Amino acid sequence: MNENLKIKKLYALSSENRKFSFSVPLKNKIRIGRRDYIVQLKSDEKYGTYILWKNRKYPVEIVRSRQNKYEILFNDISYTFTVETPFSLQRMKVIKSTKDVNELESLKAPMPGKIIDVFVREGSSVLRGEPLVILEAMKMQNEILSPVNGKVIIVSAKAGVNVMKDDVLIEIKID
Amino acid sequence: MKIKKILIANRGEIAIRVMKSARKMKIGTVAIRTAAEPGAMYLSFSDEIFDNSEDVSDIPVFLDIDKLISIALKTGSDAIHPGYGFLSENAYFAQKCFDNKITFIGPSPDSIYKMGNKTIARRLALKIGIPMVMGSAGNISDVEEALTAASKIGYPVIIKAASGGGGKGMRIVRKEEEMERMFSTASKEAEKAFNDPSVFIEKYIENPKHIEFQILGDTKGNIIHLGERECSIQRKHQKLLEEAPSCALDSSLRKEMGDIAVQIARAVSYHSAGTVEFLLDSDKNFYFMEMNTRIQVEHPVTEAITGIDLIEQQIRIAEGEPLSLKQEDIKLKGWAIECRINAEDVQAGFAPAPGKIENLSMPADPYVRVDTGIEPGSIILTTFDSMIAKLIITGKDRKEAIKNCKMALDKVWIKGTKTTLPFFRMLVRNQKFQDGTFTTAFIEKDIEKYYLNSEYEEMLAAWLATKLFVEENLLEDSINVDFENGKEMSPWLLNKRINQF
Repeated sequence: MNENLKIKKLYALSSENRKFSFSVPLKNKIRIGRRDYIVQLKSDEKYGTYILWKNRKYPVEIVRSRQNKYEILFNDISYTFTVETPFSLQRMKVIKSTKDVNELESLKAPMPGKIIDVFVREGSSVLRGEPLVILEAMKMQNEILSPVNGKVIIVSAKAGVNVMKDDVLIEIKID
Repeated sequence: MKIKKILIANRGEIAIRVMKSARKMKIGTVAIRTAAEPGAMYLSFSDEIFDNSEDVSDIPVFLDIDKLISIALKTGSDAIHPGYGFLSENAYFAQKCFDNKITFIGPSPDSIYKMGNKTIARRLALKIGIPMVMGSAGNISDVEEALTAASKIGYPVIIKAASGGGGKGMRIVRKEEEMERMFSTASKEAEKAFNDPSVFIEKYIENPKHIEFQILGDTKGNIIHLGERECSIQRKHQKLLEEAPSCALDSSLRKEMGDIAVQIARAVSYHSAGTVEFLLDSDKNFYFMEMNTRIQVEHPVTEAITGIDLIEQQIRIAEGEPLSLKQEDIKLKGWAIECRINAEDVQAGFAPAPGKIENLSMPADPYVRVDTGIEPGSIILTTFDSMIAKLIITGKDRKEAIKNCKMALDKVWIKGTKTTLPFFRMLVRNQKFQDGTFTTAFIEKDIEKYYLNSEYEEMLAAWLATKLFVEENLLEDSINVDFENGKEMSPWLLNKRINQF
């Protein structure tokens, strides 16, 4: 018998740390206030995959799934969740409290394009808001700004090179 | 002289738009099939198709002057409509058409050249006393010159491409220290986009409204305006929503600005449809910015409130007909709003989100007009622009137009790429937008979140993620299929993965 079948509850944690809990086995009903509403996942030729909720259709896509991490496109907005069991959630809390606060920031390409210029080198100190890279996409030159104060430890972006969306350009150790 | 057959030197929705008016006027049309979009929707609207799909050169055919002329001659087209973008504001192309006895449906090469070169346009406008913001006398060739000009004008300043448009080659400089970097990006961008690195500098007006006037002129010297459009909802100088009329103008300001717009057009003996753009500051001072010598993306909002088919007018003027409309015939009726539904990721700062459109369905209510060149199966390519559709919504007044807009947005169904829909859903509910007090700084300064969602939507997405986790991990009979990137669990997930960009 699979150990997992004993699980009674699951938690979906959003990237902004909001927690949604669901009982297992998962029902096609969601309780809001005192009422249960039916939620249905459907798919047909005309609409593709959608969720039916309170008589309205919402387009959905599963953009990515890796282990327990899911990126869902719901009504044209992406959400990223990690789904945790009561055990993994407990384990995560323990890990978090012991983790070093000095973290790495990976600067990713916000869109596919071509690197035109890189303004920093490994070891450079950068300030929040400082332009680090120029990325050209659809003939527009976009400045990619540093999201944090810190020190550049890896520069993977090279001028003249094409990148895909979400390719890591620069890694910064946060001050 | 009557036009018999028009070669459409464009693609997408504007190609279809032109063909619709041509059909109404019983004029034949020729569309060009390209290698990039051999099955595109616009092809099914033309009377004839010229197959150019064997041509795989890097330059799109819509930018290849010699090729277009030869296609027109081969297909017996006696006129060319350039649409917008591509060669629509290329004086050399207009001249080449003339040299080959093909009617260019647009203004004269001379008008295009003078208004296309911002430095010449400024000089012309100055000469006839049009109000303008302070700027450099001519083009700026290096950083030193830029610094001198900027300190004379006073920061903030804006660098603009001399041959520019569409926000490309444009940068705001707030401090002297930023000049070197901004000058070089603006100039590089200008060279890439317009094949001309020259730029000039102007005083930057903080928080203005972008107001433009639609002009129509014939070849006999009659010029009228069809009222204004407000295009202040823009991001990085790319317009997202336009409306007509503007709630910032009353009838006396409309008359004053409209008269000046006509004067500017007259300065270059303008004929065809054109647009005179102004900045309007918070004290209702207005400044001439530039004139666009083509049909614009946002022309339908003017059509909606005037009842005039602008493409038909362009064709009639090109045939040499005098304008049948006089200024006093132009009555603005109701309100119109255009939302540009683009394949862009609002959550990633409006980054292009190319991809294949899997499902698409648009509202069919009487208050909605949809201009699109995209259908299910179409692919949004990075080669061209990211437009999926223009939603033009009308109402008897602004309030009703916004209400109708809200309803229409919820009826649009697009699957396959991310779109600007969540942005518009937020916008139509925003207080400042409803009040009409927004400026071009709205997106950068006045909103916290670029999109609208409710907590229910996030909760439903969480439910779906949990459902997937359950199917994948907790069911004994779960089907695990191994793919390169990991496990897949359902056929509908598979669909998405296969079509991923």
